Amino acid sequence: MTIGILADKQNRDGGWPYVRGSSWIEPTAYAVLALLAAGETERARRGLRWMLAIERSDGGWPPKKGIDQSTWVTALVALLPPEELGASAHARAIAWLLGTTGRESTLTYRLREWLLGNAGLSGQEPPGWPWIPDTAAWVGPTSLAVLALDKEYRRRPLPAIRERIDSGRRFLLARVCQEGGWNYGSVRALGYASRPYPETTGMALAALRGVRSPATDRGLAVAQSFLGECRSADALNWLRLGLLAHGQLPVGYCHPLEVTDRTLPDTSLGLLVAEAEKGRDFFLA
Amino acid sequence: MPRTLTRREWLAGSAGTALLSGCGEERPIVPSMVSIVRAPAYDQRLYETVRRMLEEHRLEVRGRHVVLKPNLVEFEPGSSMNTHPLLVHAAFEAFRGMGAASVRIAEGPAHRRNTLDLADAAGYFKIVPRFEDVFVDLNLDEVTRVRPVRQFSRLGALYLPKTVLGADLLVSMPKMKTHHWVGATLSMKNLFGVVPGGIYGWPKNPLHWAGIHESIADLHAIFPRPFAIVDGIVGMEGNGPIEGTPKPVGVLVAGHDPAAVDATCCRIMRIEPLKMEYLRLASGGEAHITERNIRQIGESLPAVATPFELIPEFRWLRMENS
Repeated sequence: MTIGILADKQNRDGGWPYVRGSSWIEPTAYAVLALLAAGETERARRGLRWMLAIERSDGGWPPKKGIDQSTWVTALVALLPPEELGASAHARAIAWLLGTTGRESTLTYRLREWLLGNAGLSGQEPPGWPWIPDTAAWVGPTSLAVLALDKEYRRRPLPAIRERIDSGRRFLLARVCQEGGWNYGSVRALGYASRPYPETTGMALAALRGVRSPATDRGLAVAQSFLGECRSADALNWLRLGLLAHGQLPVGYCHPLEVTDRTLPDTSLGLLVAEAEKGRDFFLA
Repeated sequence: MPRTLTRREWLAGSAGTALLSGCGEERPIVPSMVSIVRAPAYDQRLYETVRRMLEEHRLEVRGRHVVLKPNLVEFEPGSSMNTHPLLVHAAFEAFRGMGAASVRIAEGPAHRRNTLDLADAAGYFKIVPRFEDVFVDLNLDEVTRVRPVRQFSRLGALYLPKTVLGADLLVSMPKMKTHHWVGATLSMKNLFGVVPGGIYGWPKNPLHWAGIHESIADLHAIFPRPFAIVDGIVGMEGNGPIEGTPKPVGVLVAGHDPAAVDATCCRIMRIEPLKMEYLRLASGGEAHITERNIRQIGESLPAVATPFELIPEFRWLRMENS
């Protein structure tokens, strides 16, 4: 049924919108993954062709056609199977991710802060990923980049990839909220503790697969409580994925019937999470 | 806290002064009309209150396309963080009653990506019939690249949503709140929500790196004449715009000139508007937002003013004698 929705909503150019209108990379990447999971390769390949057509010369992807900036959506492209996307395009996406950090981690920025007397040259946060280059790193794009690199590392275990996965995970662990779980950004803003959000908590937990620490344990407890009360399809998808990554999704968990998919990424992610619950995790292989 | 002018503020102020005084000859400022209307609660009386308030401003919207831009921040059914849906629906009905060709509600929240879930939790689906049909998620809208006519930040051109750029009348409908980075968030800061997260991320971090005050002034240059209706029925004080505490004020503040509306709101909150950097930048100096250059109608300022609690970093913004 839901695969049928994806088929209905595919644009003529091969991509998908968020709800309606022109094609964007994010809904297209998730739709392609969901269609490949369902064995609908023809539709998926039309989506892939559209994605390949808008790759930028720096090896990254813009959020949609006509935008002159590669952004975080490159991580979603890197999650696609190289044998379907094309090995060289996939390698360029991985290289773009490896070369991208939050602005606060760049040498120029750190040197400037040091010269202004605002910070030391060492001891800064581990580098994460920004939504858009030349801005700060955040929990959401960092989690997605770690997921993409982790999937690549299982295929191609290179030290450079390992290093960025580890630093991305350290970035996430440094941003655990006081009460556990993850906000979208800092742990504190102007001295006040930030609150955890369900979607970012789920994303961070998914990216921290295999990491055992008091921080992940507290995050898992927060995720369990969110799971019972949250009514956002997007947030529930990420919570399920995050809990699954740690083997903590309650046995027999049922997606609440009253929760509505608001966007096509909600639908696609829902399908992918359902597959992951059956043991076919497309964020892993 | 004593504070000296930065070079940028001095230049902006000088430019404003130069604009206002061509060749040394002072031009009179035409006072902007700002209304303060009592609205004690979020109830059915709001529909009539808003209709009368808009009539006073003589807005001509017959046959025009109107976009209402509320402030949606968090999954919160209460009344202090998001613009209340009853107020937005009252404005929606009033503009329709005034003959608008279309009225849409549009918002691009800053850091929560699931906009419709957020609107649902904030009560919009319950209050606004067929909400999904009239709502546009500005984070995911089609975009056009625009360069501000006057630029205060290093942003350069911005991709902005076609829904907003194509509106005949944009109505900024913020909540009256303190803000932990700029002091207060009102109708001008509310326009951060038109910058698409789909292009710039959640939050819209390039605006922060380019300078929040300067980016607000840039957006004001792109949208210089939105109508503003500020939800001050219950505002937020302290560590706004998210972690603050509800502050009942019982007013709506409205007008055609967002700088004048925001300056009036600041005075209600007992914040000195002349100390607000983005207000000074966007209005080209102080003259435009001084009390004597605002034609205020409705309730008097002393009758409704109530000091909003400020976090320590912003206590220097407090008006004297508050």
